[in-house]
Amino acid sequence: MKNRALQPPWSRIRYVTPRFQGPAVLAFAAIIATGGAIFWKLVDSEFQRVFLHAAIRGHYAFDSAYDIIRDLLAWHLAGLFVGVFLTGSVLVLLLVAATRHGIGKAVDSLRASADGDLSTPTGTGPISEFGRFGEKIDATRSDTLASVLKIRSEAAALAAGGISPEEFRLRWDELKHRIRRIAP
Amino acid sequence: MSGPEAAGNGPLIHRRYVFGLLLRLCVNFAGGVGILFVILYFTLSRPLPGDYAGVFHALRNLSPFLRPILAVSVLVYALLACGSTSALCVFILHKVAGPLYRMEMVLDEYRSGTPTRTVSFRSGDQIQPLAQAFNLWIGTLRRDRHRCLATMKDAERHCLQDEATCRAQMEEALRKVAEDMAKYH
Repeated sequence: MKNRALQPPWSRIRYVTPRFQGPAVLAFAAIIATGGAIFWKLVDSEFQRVFLHAAIRGHYAFDSAYDIIRDLLAWHLAGLFVGVFLTGSVLVLLLVAATRHGIGKAVDSLRASADGDLSTPTGTGPISEFGRFGEKIDATRSDTLASVLKIRSEAAALAAGGISPEEFRLRWDELKHRIRRIAP
Repeated sequence: MSGPEAAGNGPLIHRRYVFGLLLRLCVNFAGGVGILFVILYFTLSRPLPGDYAGVFHALRNLSPFLRPILAVSVLVYALLACGSTSALCVFILHKVAGPLYRMEMVLDEYRSGTPTRTVSFRSGDQIQPLAQAFNLWIGTLRRDRHRCLATMKDAERHCLQDEATCRAQMEEALRKVAEDMAKYH
């Protein structure tokens, strides 16, 4: 029997992040619905006109109603496909651009943090999920800066002297403990 | 600040991923339009009556039914296309949303003081430079921490000598620590 305790921890995969995937799904649904509505409106009026025209024309050289509107339907379906696909492609490219911009800012911010800049805001752009993520990064950097500043001021205060040996030793150990807590 | 692609860490979003997404969308929308075509084809391809009057009446009577037929067809198309596109979006965008979620968890762990491991995303995930930038930052912090602790430990060694030397060395170490930490602002 397998010992569950020895198995590596199962990393939970989260398939839905509603704040990021939700608006994208809604935007695609809106494109499809709009395309469908426009198609319905156009095809309905065109078909009404074409069937009426075919009925009063009198020369019935067709077997079914489909034969009358075959070309018209093909063109409208092609138009629907091209319209929806092109609009969807623009949306995809906008999403990719927003992701590149938002996450790019977060990457820049983390790289700047490695160089010591822990205070410049991340500023991640228009998508709220990236904005929230940027705020989280800023909060993390801010916490780190606060503890670094505390260490720096404590070290400077201790180095200035004028403290009794007992208190110095106590604060020295406390400072070491505080330094150990940076990036645990 | 350098751009995310400047440091040789690869692009945030791969072109292949974008093309893959566009291709899947193309197939998806084409499938939707195909289904719409099939519905309309089977609805409108019933043979018309043979005689003149029969064809005339069949065509005239088609008009009132045309609007609901089209409405139902378009509704079926919209529902199927929306459903499959939603599934596609959730599946494909997970390659971005998943790493983002993981990074958020790591940031929360870091803030709570839990030991932070090196972040790595699954192969195929996008925004890989984010993990690399975070690891770079944490690595720099850890290097500085080790240097400070080593400086302090080095000063403590002098405590085996007399008290004054020990104190002087410790104060010197503290000045160095303060100097090292001064790069953060």
